[in-house]
Amino acid sequence: MILQALARYYQRLIERGADDIAPYGYSPEKISYEIVLAPDGVVLAVNDIRDTTGKKPQPRVLEVPQPEKRTVGIKSNFLWDKTSYVLGVSATSKRADKEHEAFKALHESALAGAPDEGLKALLAFLQRWSPEQFQVPLFSDEMLDANLVFRLDGEHRHLHEREAAQALRARLLGGGEKGAGPAAAAEGVCLVHGESAPIARLHPAIKGVNGAQSSGASLVSFNLDAFTSYGKSQGDNAPVSEQAAFAYTSVLNYLLRRSGDNRQRLQVGDTTVVFWAESAGNEADARAAEDFLASLFSPPDDDSEAERLRVVLDDLGKGRPLAELDPDLAPGTRMYVLGLAPNASRLSVRYWQADTLEVFAKRLAQHAQDLRIEPLPWRVEPTVYRLLLATVPNREGAKPKADDAFGNLIGETMRAILGGGLYPRSLLASTVMRIRSDGNLSGMRAAICKGVLVRERRLGIRTSDEEISVSLDKQSTQPGYLLGRLFAVLEYVQRSALGGQVNATIRDRYYGAASATPAAIFPVLLRNTQNHMGKLRKERPGQAVTLEKEIREIVAGLPDEFPRSLRIEDQGRFAIGYYHQSQAHFTKHDAAGDAAGPTKTETEGAL
Amino acid sequence: MAFGIRLLVWGERACFTRPEMKVERVSYDVITPSAARGILEAIHWKPAIRWHIDRIHVLKPIRFESIRRNEVGGKLSPASVAKAMKAGSTAGLATFVDEDRQQRAATVLRGVRYLIEAHFELTDRAGPDNSVGKHLDIFNRRARKGQCFHAPCLGVREFPASFELLEEGVPLPEPAPGVEANKDLGWMLHDIDFSDGMTPRFFRARMQGGVIEVPPWQAGEVKA
Repeated sequence: MILQALARYYQRLIERGADDIAPYGYSPEKISYEIVLAPDGVVLAVNDIRDTTGKKPQPRVLEVPQPEKRTVGIKSNFLWDKTSYVLGVSATSKRADKEHEAFKALHESALAGAPDEGLKALLAFLQRWSPEQFQVPLFSDEMLDANLVFRLDGEHRHLHEREAAQALRARLLGGGEKGAGPAAAAEGVCLVHGESAPIARLHPAIKGVNGAQSSGASLVSFNLDAFTSYGKSQGDNAPVSEQAAFAYTSVLNYLLRRSGDNRQRLQVGDTTVVFWAESAGNEADARAAEDFLASLFSPPDDDSEAERLRVVLDDLGKGRPLAELDPDLAPGTRMYVLGLAPNASRLSVRYWQADTLEVFAKRLAQHAQDLRIEPLPWRVEPTVYRLLLATVPNREGAKPKADDAFGNLIGETMRAILGGGLYPRSLLASTVMRIRSDGNLSGMRAAICKGVLVRERRLGIRTSDEEISVSLDKQSTQPGYLLGRLFAVLEYVQRSALGGQVNATIRDRYYGAASATPAAIFPVLLRNTQNHMGKLRKERPGQAVTLEKEIREIVAGLPDEFPRSLRIEDQGRFAIGYYHQSQAHFTKHDAAGDAAGPTKTETEGAL
Repeated sequence: MAFGIRLLVWGERACFTRPEMKVERVSYDVITPSAARGILEAIHWKPAIRWHIDRIHVLKPIRFESIRRNEVGGKLSPASVAKAMKAGSTAGLATFVDEDRQQRAATVLRGVRYLIEAHFELTDRAGPDNSVGKHLDIFNRRARKGQCFHAPCLGVREFPASFELLEEGVPLPEPAPGVEANKDLGWMLHDIDFSDGMTPRFFRARMQGGVIEVPPWQAGEVKA
């Protein structure tokens, strides 16, 4: 399915005439210099064709005949290559002579008898050339190991762009002659489009996945003999035609390109995600859908934009159809999302989702709703990546690192968001664990606890009959929630009595124990609170009365005895209750303009 | 089909590996005919019969999950085994898993349940004492009692399959909520043609009303 969809997308891009996407047998490569040849093969000039607009000259990307897949063997490319092959000189290669030999041999056999003027010139050049001629003024050491192309004097196009060269290339590809183009292949049924065609032995490499080798990794490969079956070798294990292999790799490389205008690629933890649209109607629909999904995946940083997106998400969550919200979008557009992660020179598929835009938009809206907690702890809806940063240690003075996240947590969460399934349970467990160990109860963490529990409840896994509300719920009788609230009030009493300058508040000291084993901690806490209350009663009797009333109300909702221990989901509720209650104090303060110290719970904005 | 059988199979996890992604495994969306055949053969198979899968009903929504495991990268070559046999000694004939580790990722199916409809044919190796009725009875009796030659599995040995015979006349079970009724599943492996150089044969799998019709082995739509 993945390869089929990619191959179809390639077809569409070719029809649309998109830039950077090469026709069959060609590929965009970084080229630095061109050699200008006279018809008799004399080098007339060597031009630097790099792009010098930036600080450093950057090689230009030209469409050249597709390179050979090189690992250790010597294989020459057709009509272009790096200096060790073309000229037999190199700063790094110790076998430049052999490599040049290969280049010469390939072209002498392929170009023999070609009537074309340009190709003749190249042949003549190869016969004249010896590596000793690599000298100033024409050549400089800077050229070493860069890629070169050829041009015939007096023409604008390069040698490989001449009709004769292209016809020759096509013949070499079709005939599968040794040395040129992919090696001769057996016929077989291609599992991408089901037609009988020559089968690719090796698939072109895919570049641009973070963490993979820079020379590219393979999506389809059989690089060890344990991976092969039925005595087949290489591509015969999975018959994919040359055409299809070329199509899916070029389009994947196109999607993975690292350029500022590429909105179809995003990085989520160790996984590189690409997505694309397939519209029954016109290309504009597909483009609009891709842009819309991009904005859902990584919400804009701009306040007004974020607000507008939130409105859209809200309306979607309420069940309004997408077409009503944005008439430019065709809800039936099919979207494909592919998550790739590197693994030992190969790429593995982390997730693969194909659905209509409407479905994806609804699921993302659902995700936003499940997470929503009041007061809203963020300005911009958090991306998955930011969400997951809440589950790793937040050490003082150090940025949280996504590497600290549990194994595949990011991948599974992303899958849950895109697929509408349950969030992984380890998301709740690791969040609760992190709250207990570093005592940082941020809104993001409370929101994660809420999201996991709300979604489980919605999908039929009930750990309690009671719903979890978005904002403070005074009617709740959930012990976990109530204990969280109680804890927040007790902390507030302490702070009101002693001021904001306490070295270690009860939250710093007791949060972990209180949320896990309430029966052991709460009686002690309540006793201590009486001391704070005593002080408060003398200084601010009015506040003391309100707080006492609040404590009494909460305790009245609790069972007769404090629970001995709380399960992980109740610990999640504890966190939610704590967040709700402490934020309620905070906002009340704001309204009253009270000067007492604000709670320390942070509200997280955009990172 | 007078001698058709219906078998319910289910399991926690399943991995019906796509050939193009068999290294970093990605499963097909549903069970393949060859995997279904493997389950039936685990219950009853003799050289005299050949199983044919007719239809596959998908009874649970398609859900995926990713896991990573340590596996080995190499296997013993047949040549070195032949050499050891000739020498009459197994010295040096070993693979040490801890020296040849490969971590591989797999995207597998979660919580699957299928109904397999199948029938069998007698092959030319069937003697005079083999009859359709006999093998059908044997299969039904064994399936009813839960007997099998080896534990049937869902694609790979790590994911065992539970099974139950659906007796004749018993209505089809209802699919669970959330099962997509119609889906194009692309080109799917039908089976391996062992008589022709172990060539894989593919067919265009389509789910219609939660059911995948499997074309007969020699049909034109199955391509080698």
